[in-house]
Amino acid sequence: MSSSPQHSQKEPPPPDTVREHVYDGIEEYDNNMPNWWLWTFYLAIIFSFLYWFFFFETPLAETDAERVGAALTRIEEARLAQVGELNSAVLWQMSQNASFVEAGRQIFMGEGTCHSCHGANLEGGIGVNLVDQQWVWGNTPMSVYQVISEGSPNPTKGMVAWKRLGPDKVKQVAAFILSHHNPAEMAGAETLNSPIGRD
Amino acid sequence: MAQNPIKQPSRDTLTTINADGSRYAIHTADVRGRFQRWRRLTGWLLIGLFVALPWIQINGHPAVFFNFPQQRFHLFGVTLAFQDTWLLFFVVTGLAFGIFFVTALFGRVWCGWACPQTVYLDQVFRRLERWIEGDAPARRRLDAAPWTAQKVFKRGIKHTLFLLCSAVIAHIFLSYAVSLPRLWEMMHTSPIEHWTAFIFVFGVTAVFYANFTWFREQLCIVICPYGRFQGALIDDHSLNVAYDAQRGDPPGKPRDPTAGDCIDCHRCVQVCPTGIDIRQGLQLECIGCTACIDACDSIMDKLGKPRGLIRYASQEELEGRKTRFVRTRTVIYSVLLVVGTIVASLSLRSIQPAEVATVRMLGMPFFVTDTHVRNQFSVRIINKSMETMHFQVTATTESPLPLEVRGVDGLLTVEPLKEILATLVVQVPREAFQGNFPFTLHAVNASPEVVHTRRLEFLGPDPRLLHAR
Repeated sequence: MSSSPQHSQKEPPPPDTVREHVYDGIEEYDNNMPNWWLWTFYLAIIFSFLYWFFFFETPLAETDAERVGAALTRIEEARLAQVGELNSAVLWQMSQNASFVEAGRQIFMGEGTCHSCHGANLEGGIGVNLVDQQWVWGNTPMSVYQVISEGSPNPTKGMVAWKRLGPDKVKQVAAFILSHHNPAEMAGAETLNSPIGRD
Repeated sequence: MAQNPIKQPSRDTLTTINADGSRYAIHTADVRGRFQRWRRLTGWLLIGLFVALPWIQINGHPAVFFNFPQQRFHLFGVTLAFQDTWLLFFVVTGLAFGIFFVTALFGRVWCGWACPQTVYLDQVFRRLERWIEGDAPARRRLDAAPWTAQKVFKRGIKHTLFLLCSAVIAHIFLSYAVSLPRLWEMMHTSPIEHWTAFIFVFGVTAVFYANFTWFREQLCIVICPYGRFQGALIDDHSLNVAYDAQRGDPPGKPRDPTAGDCIDCHRCVQVCPTGIDIRQGLQLECIGCTACIDACDSIMDKLGKPRGLIRYASQEELEGRKTRFVRTRTVIYSVLLVVGTIVASLSLRSIQPAEVATVRMLGMPFFVTDTHVRNQFSVRIINKSMETMHFQVTATTESPLPLEVRGVDGLLTVEPLKEILATLVVQVPREAFQGNFPFTLHAVNASPEVVHTRRLEFLGPDPRLLHAR
C-alpha cells in the first residue's frame, strides 16, 4: 500500500510504551499529554468546584433566579414610585397642561390606537363614549387611569391593559381624556360601578 | 550527512510535545520557491480583503457589518434582522458541503492557503520574527542563550511588535461589529463609556498575541476540529502533499546508482512548521503549507534532478494510476452544492425590507355585543430598511359578510430600523355571523415596494348559541 519509510530505520526508535489493552487488534501508545493541556484541564476542574460552591452553596453570589427576581422587584418599585405620587389632583393639573394633553392626543390617535374603538372624537362606537357624563368604572381621574393601565375589570368588553406603554404615556392619555371634562362636572356624573381607582 | 540539531519526527508521537509533556519549539528554516510565492500572494490578498471590507459601502452600509447593538446584519447590500436568522441554515450547511467538496478533491488546501491562522502566522508574524531574530539556527541559539542585553532588546522589540499587530487585527475584527466610524469614536473616548467593547478587544488581542507568539501549531494539531475531520474526508483520489517513495527510496548519496532521488538531506523536516517528516506519509499534523515541496524542489534543482519528489499527488497517482476527479463522491457533493445554492438564493430573494407579524390581542378570542361580533388583533410592522415606510393596511374576505375594520385608517408610518404595534379591530354584524371564517390582511408599502399578506381567522361563538336568543 503506502511507501515503507526505510530511511527512518537509521534513527533509533523512540521509547514508546504500549498500553496493555487491545481492541480488535488496535493497540494504544502511552505518550504524555501536552503540559498546557493538562494544566488547563486541572484548572477547569478547580474552577468548576469553586463556581459550584460560590454560586450554589453560599449566599455570596446571586443565582440567575435571584437576579431576575431582584430586577423585577426594582421595576415594580420604580413603577409604584411613579404612580404612588399620582392622585386625582395631579391628573387634573396635567389635564390643564397643553403639552401633556397634546402628547396624550398623539398617543390616543397613534401608538395607543385608542381611536380605533373610542372614535377619533372620543364618541365611542366599539368602546365607550369618553366625552359624556356617564362613567362605567368610576367618576374619578384615578379610575380612568386605572382602566387605561390595567384594562377593563370585565374581560368580555375587550379593553386590554395598556400599561406596557409605560406610566408616563398612560398619564398623558388620561390627561387628554380629562381635558374634555372639569372636576365639578365629573364629581356629579353617574357611574355604573364604584370607582376602582385610588384617590 | 550534516548534524541535524532538531528533533527527529516519529509517526508514534507529536514532535512538538516532549516525553515529559513540555513543549518543543519549532524553528522553521528559510524556504523559497514558487509555492511560497503563490501563498504570499493569496495570503496578502486575503489580509487585504479583511482590512478593506469594512471600508466598502453597499446600499449605505459597510459590505459586511454585523451590527449587534442595533440588531441588524448587513451582508453585501442585503439587510437582515433577527427574524431572518433561519437563513443561517444555508450558511452552515453550505459551509459544510463546501468543506466536504473541496477536501474530497484537493485535501487540506484550506489549512495551508486560506486559514487565518496560517495566513497571519506565515505572512505577518513569522516574517517579523525572521527579521528581528534571524534564521532558524540563530533563533535556536537565542532560545538557548542567557538573558543578555541583546536578547532582552530583541525579544522586547519582537513582543512589542507582536502585541501591536495583534491589537490592530483585533480592532479591525471589532469594526465588523460596530462599523469603522464608531470604532474611531470609541478609540477617542474613555473606555468606561463602552467597556464591553474595550474588554472584548482587550481579550481578543491577548488571545491573538498568545496564539501567534507561542501556541501556533498546537491550535492546528490539538484544537481545530476542522483539521481532524478534514483528514476523514479524503480518499485515495484526493490530492495531498505527498512524498513519491517509488522515486525517492531508498535514500542515499547523490551519485549512488542504487539509491533513489532522496538524499536524506532533511530539508523537508527543517522547514516543516508542525514538525513532521512528510516522507513518513500523510499525517494528522500536515497542514499542507507546501514548504517541504519548495524545499525539496530547490535541492533537486541543485542536483540537476527533476522537481516534484514531494508534490501534490493522490494515493492513486503515487501508486502509478490516474487520479479521478470525477467520482461518485465528488458528483454527489457537487449536485448537493448546486441544489443548496439555488435554494439559498431563492430564499435570500424572499427577504423583504419589512416584516409584518400578526397576533391576536391579549384577552378573549372574540367579543360579543348587542350588535356585533368583534375580533382584536395586534399587527407588528418591523422596518428593517433605512427609509421611512408608510403602510396601507386593509382586510378583505371572500365571505359575503360586511367586514368592518378599525384602527388602521390612513397610512401607518414606521421609522427606519423601528417597529410599530398597531391595533386591528374587525367586527361583523351579530345577526349576520354564521361561524368562523378566514380573512386576509394586506400590508402594502409603496416604495420600496413591500407587500405582505396574512391569512387570519375570524372567531366567534357557535352561531346556534348566538342566534337562539
